[in-house]
Amino acid sequence: MKHTIREIFHSPKFLVGFSIFMFILLVVIFYPLFVTAEPLEIIGKGTFFEPGIYVNVYDGVNSKQYTLNLDDAAEKRIASKLGDQERLDMQEWLLSFGIPEEEIDIYDTEKLIELWENNYDRSIRFPGMTSARQKYFGRLNTSLAGLLSTEGIVLAAENQETGELESTGIIEQTNYLNVGQVANVRVLPLGTDNFGRDMLTELVSATGTSLKIGFIAGSIATMIGLTLGLLAGYIGGWVDDIIMFFTNLFTVIPSIVLLILISYSIGQEQRGAVTVAVVIGFTSWVWTTRAVRAQVISLRHRDHVNLSKLSGHSVGHIIVHDILPYIASYVVMAFILQISSGILAEAGLSILGLGPKTTDVPTLGLMMNWAMIYSAHIMGKWWAYFPVIVVIALVSFSMNLMNTGLDQVFNPALRE
Amino acid sequence: MKGYVKYFSGKLVWFLITLVAAFVLNFVLPRLMPGDPVAIITQRTVQGMASQAGIQKVYQQYAELFGTNKPIHEQFIIYIQNILKGDFGLSFSQYPRPVADILKSSIWWTVALQFPAIILGWLIGNTLGALAAYLKKGFDKVIMPVSIFISNLPAFGMAVVLLVIFGVKLAWFPTSGGYGFDMIPNLSWGFIWSVIVHYQLPFWSIVLIAIGGQAIGMRSMAIYELNADYVKYSRFLGIKDRTTIKYVFRNAMLPQITGLALSIGTMIGGALVAEVIFSYPGLGSTILTAVMGQDYPLISAVTLIIALMVLSATFLIEILYGFIDPRIKAAQTD
Amino acid sequence: MAKKILEVKELTTKYITRFKENVYAVDHVSLTVEEGKSLGIAGESGCGKSTLALSLMGYYFPPLYYTSGEIIIDGQNISGMKPDDVRKSILGKEIAYIPQAAMNALNPTQKIIRFIEDVVHAHHPDATKEEIYDLARTRFERLGLPASVLEKYPVELSGGMKQRTVIATSVILGPKVLIADEPSSALDVTSQKKVIKMLRDLMETEIIKSMIFITHELPLLYNVTDDIMVMYAGQIVEKANAEEAVFDPLHPYAKGLMGAIIVPEEGLRDVKLTAIPGVPPNLKNPPDGCRFAERCKYAVPQCKVIKVGMTEVGDGREYRCIFSEEELREFYKDAQ
Repeated sequence: MKHTIREIFHSPKFLVGFSIFMFILLVVIFYPLFVTAEPLEIIGKGTFFEPGIYVNVYDGVNSKQYTLNLDDAAEKRIASKLGDQERLDMQEWLLSFGIPEEEIDIYDTEKLIELWENNYDRSIRFPGMTSARQKYFGRLNTSLAGLLSTEGIVLAAENQETGELESTGIIEQTNYLNVGQVANVRVLPLGTDNFGRDMLTELVSATGTSLKIGFIAGSIATMIGLTLGLLAGYIGGWVDDIIMFFTNLFTVIPSIVLLILISYSIGQEQRGAVTVAVVIGFTSWVWTTRAVRAQVISLRHRDHVNLSKLSGHSVGHIIVHDILPYIASYVVMAFILQISSGILAEAGLSILGLGPKTTDVPTLGLMMNWAMIYSAHIMGKWWAYFPVIVVIALVSFSMNLMNTGLDQVFNPALRE
Repeated sequence: MKGYVKYFSGKLVWFLITLVAAFVLNFVLPRLMPGDPVAIITQRTVQGMASQAGIQKVYQQYAELFGTNKPIHEQFIIYIQNILKGDFGLSFSQYPRPVADILKSSIWWTVALQFPAIILGWLIGNTLGALAAYLKKGFDKVIMPVSIFISNLPAFGMAVVLLVIFGVKLAWFPTSGGYGFDMIPNLSWGFIWSVIVHYQLPFWSIVLIAIGGQAIGMRSMAIYELNADYVKYSRFLGIKDRTTIKYVFRNAMLPQITGLALSIGTMIGGALVAEVIFSYPGLGSTILTAVMGQDYPLISAVTLIIALMVLSATFLIEILYGFIDPRIKAAQTD
Repeated sequence: MAKKILEVKELTTKYITRFKENVYAVDHVSLTVEEGKSLGIAGESGCGKSTLALSLMGYYFPPLYYTSGEIIIDGQNISGMKPDDVRKSILGKEIAYIPQAAMNALNPTQKIIRFIEDVVHAHHPDATKEEIYDLARTRFERLGLPASVLEKYPVELSGGMKQRTVIATSVILGPKVLIADEPSSALDVTSQKKVIKMLRDLMETEIIKSMIFITHELPLLYNVTDDIMVMYAGQIVEKANAEEAVFDPLHPYAKGLMGAIIVPEEGLRDVKLTAIPGVPPNLKNPPDGCRFAERCKYAVPQCKVIKVGMTEVGDGREYRCIFSEEELREFYKDAQ
C-alpha cells in the first residue's frame, strides 16, 4: 500500500494533475479567509467593469497631493484620448466634410484639433453614415474638449449662505497622489460581471460550489455503479441480466435527455446546487457499473476468492475482503472521472437554463450562463467568461491527468 | 447470411426496446412530481398570465393532452396515440403555435449541423490518433497533449473560444444565428451563402471537440493493436509494414465505431449546448427558449426527439458495423 | 557431411528496457542445422529461448536489437543485409516462424486467403490471385487441411485448426528453415498430436529443409528432434543429439532438467522444467563466472569467478562447465 502510494506520487502525470487540483482546492478554501465579501453582493452599478484597480475619486481628490514634473505626462494624456484610430476617424470626418486631403496632417496634434474644432458640427450626418457612427463622433468630440489645455482643474464648493461656488483649491496637471494613501481602493482583478459583482470572488465561490456538485454527483454515481456492478458481477445469473438490461438501456438513452426532463420536472425553485448534483449523480452511473462488473467477473473465479468461499465466508465478507481491495483502484479512477464529468454536466445544464436556482450560490455553469445571456463574448468582455472556461478546463484537465497517472501505475502494460 | 439476420434482428429488437423505454421515461418522469402534475405544470406555465380564463384554458388543454382523469395506462395510450399522430400539443411560449411546427423548423438545423460535424470530427480524430500511435516521436508529442487539452475543454468552452477569435476579433464569420437576421428563408444564393457562413463556427467547434476525444481513443486502440501477435507474425512472414499498418488501423477502427455508437448521446448533448452559444436555430436553442418560457409541451417533445435521434443514430451505426466487421457474421453462426 | 542449412556464429542480441538498460537475452549463441535435420531448444521460461527464436530471423524491431554475430542461411550471410532486403528476400521465403500464441497470430478481420495473398505478394508482387489460390489450396490439402479454410475468418476456426492454418501459412513459400516456438503448448492433447504430425510431415515431404523446435516440454523434443540444445540465462549450456541430451546429459543444469523424465511414462508430457530450486540470474547484470553456479549443487568457489566456455567432447557434443566429462560423470554416479 505504502509502496503503491509512493509509486503514484512518482508518476509525473499524476503529480502535475494533483498539483493543479490542490492549487485550485487551496484557493477555494483559503480565499474566503482573506476576502470576506459576499460572492453574490452587487457592488458595481453597471455591467462588466474592466479588471483593474478602482481608486475612489472623492478620496483621491482629498488625499495628499504631490508634484512630480514628468516630461511625457502631457503626451500620454493626449495619447490616451487620441490614438491612431481616433486620428484616422477624424480625418475621415473632415474629408467627408470637404477639407482637402493635403490640409489634414493627422500627426500634427495641435493643427488637427484646431481644424476639428473649427469645422466639426454635431448635427451634420453625411449620406451613408449610420446614426451610431454619428453618435460616435459626438462622443469623440466631447472627449477632445480641453485636451490641449495646460490649466489645472479648479475645485469648488457651494457656499451654504450665498449659494455661490467658491474655489477651494486647484488640481494641477503635475499633481499626483499615492494610491497607498487613498482610503478607498478596490482591486477587481477580474472586473465585475453583468450584475456588477466582483468576478474573482464570485469565481472562487463558484469553483467551490462546482467542486461540491462534482463531488456529490461523483459519490452518488460511484456508489450506485459500485453496488450494481458488484451485484451483477458477483451474483450473476438473473440479477446480472436485469442489471445489465437497465445499464444497457441507460447507456443508449442519452443522459442529457434525462437531466433535462428531471431538472425541469423538479422546478426552478426546488433546484438547489445539491439537488442538481443528486440528479446528475443518478443519471451517470452506467459506466462505473460496466467497469466494476467486468472487473468483478474476472476476479470471481480467482483462487483466493474460491478459497474464501470454501472457508465458508459470507458473500458480504468475500466482497469486502476478497473483491473490493482488488477493484479499489478502478473505483478510485472512475470516481475521479465522475467528479469531472459531474462538473461539466452542471455547466451544460446551466447553459440550457436548467442549472441551480440563480439567487442562491454561483456555480461555474451559472456564471457561464449569465455571461452568455448578457453577450459578454460578443461584446469583448473576456473577463466575464474566459476565466470560467479556464477554471473548468483546468479542473477537468487535472482530474484526467491524475486518472491517467493512476492508470499507468495500476496497469503497467499501458506505460510506453 | 443467417449470421447477419440474427445480428440485425437482435439489434432491431434492442432498438425497439430502448424506443419504448424512451417513451415511457418521457411519459413517467414529469408525473413523478408530487401533487397534480397538470396543476403544477399549468401553474408554472402560466406564471405572469393574469386572466383566470386563460389559466383555466391552459389547465383544460393539459388535462386533455394527458387525460389525467383517466387511469394511468389509458393516459399512456392517449399519449402514444397523440405522438404517433404527430400531435405534441400547443406551445405555451409561442402560443398558439403547435409544438410539432416548432420542432419541424428546428430539427433539421440540428441534424444538418451535428451529424456531419460529429462524423467529420470522428474521421479526423481517428486519423490523427492513428498517426500519433504510428509515428510516435514528435508527432505523438505534439498531437497528444493538444488533444488531451482540447478534449478537456467543455464543448461550450470550445464554442466560445472559436466565437471570440473568429467571430468577434477577426470578424470572419457571424457570431450568432443560422442565417442573416435580416433575411427570410428562401432558396436564393444570398440566403444559401448566409447559411453556409453561419454554419462554419458551430460546425467547427463541434468537429474540434469530437477530434480531441476520438484521437485519444484511437491512439490507445492503435497502440494496443500494434503490439498484437498478428502484427509480429505478419512482419516475420516478410509482409511490408505498410500492409501491416493497414491491418492495424482497420482493426483499431472497429472498436472506435462501436465507441461512437455508445458516445453519440453524450456528443449530441455537448453539441446542443454549443448551439446555444451560437444561438443556432436548432434544438439546443429550442430547449433554452422552452425552459425560459416554461413551455412544458415543447420541452417534453424536444427531449423525446433528441432521444429518438440518438437511438436511431446508434442503431444505424450498429447496422453499419455489422456489415463492416466480418467477425459479426462468424460469431453469430456458432 | 550433409549440407549446412542454417549456421549461426556467436549471435548476440539485446533488449533495451524503458530505463535504457541492456539485457543480453541471447549471448554468443552458435548453432548449426543440417539439411533434413531438426534441432530442439529447451530451457526454463525466461532463459532466452523465445528471444533466440526471434533473433534467428535476422529482423529486429524495438525493444530487441542486434549486437553481434552472424546468421548464415544456405550459404547466404544475412547479418549484414539491410532490414528491408531481409524482409523481402529472407523472411517467409528462406526462414519462417510459427509464433508461440498462434491463437492471435492471424489478423481477426481478414480471410485466410487474403492474408496468404499478402504474404506471397510481399515476395512475388506479380503473382496473380489464381496462382496464389492454387498454391495455397495444394499446400493446405497436402497438409490435410480442407481448402474451405481459406475462405474463412480466424474466428471461425477452432484452436487446433487455427494453429495448423498458421503452420501451413508459414510454409506457403517453402522456407528452408522453420522456427517453431512452442507451437503446441496451448492446445488440447488431440490437437497437439495433429500439430506434431504436421511438423513431421513438413520435414518428410521436404516442404521445409530443416526445423528449430522450441519448447519447455522435453518429451516432445525427444520425440520430434534429432539434436537438442539446452539454454540457460541466454547461453547454450549443452548441445547433444536427442538421445544423449535426454539420457546422458553432462551439464548439471541439463542433468537437473532431464532428471525428471528419465523414466518414460505416459502423462510425463506435463512435467515442466521447474525441478531445480532457485531462479535464473538477472540478465541486466549477469555474473562473471558460470551463470548456473548459484543454483548448482556441485559448484566450487572458482565457478563464480572463472568465465567458462563450451567444451567439445567429440561428435559435435558440447557443454559449458569447468569440470571435465569424467568428473561430472563421477558426481552423477555418487548422486545415484
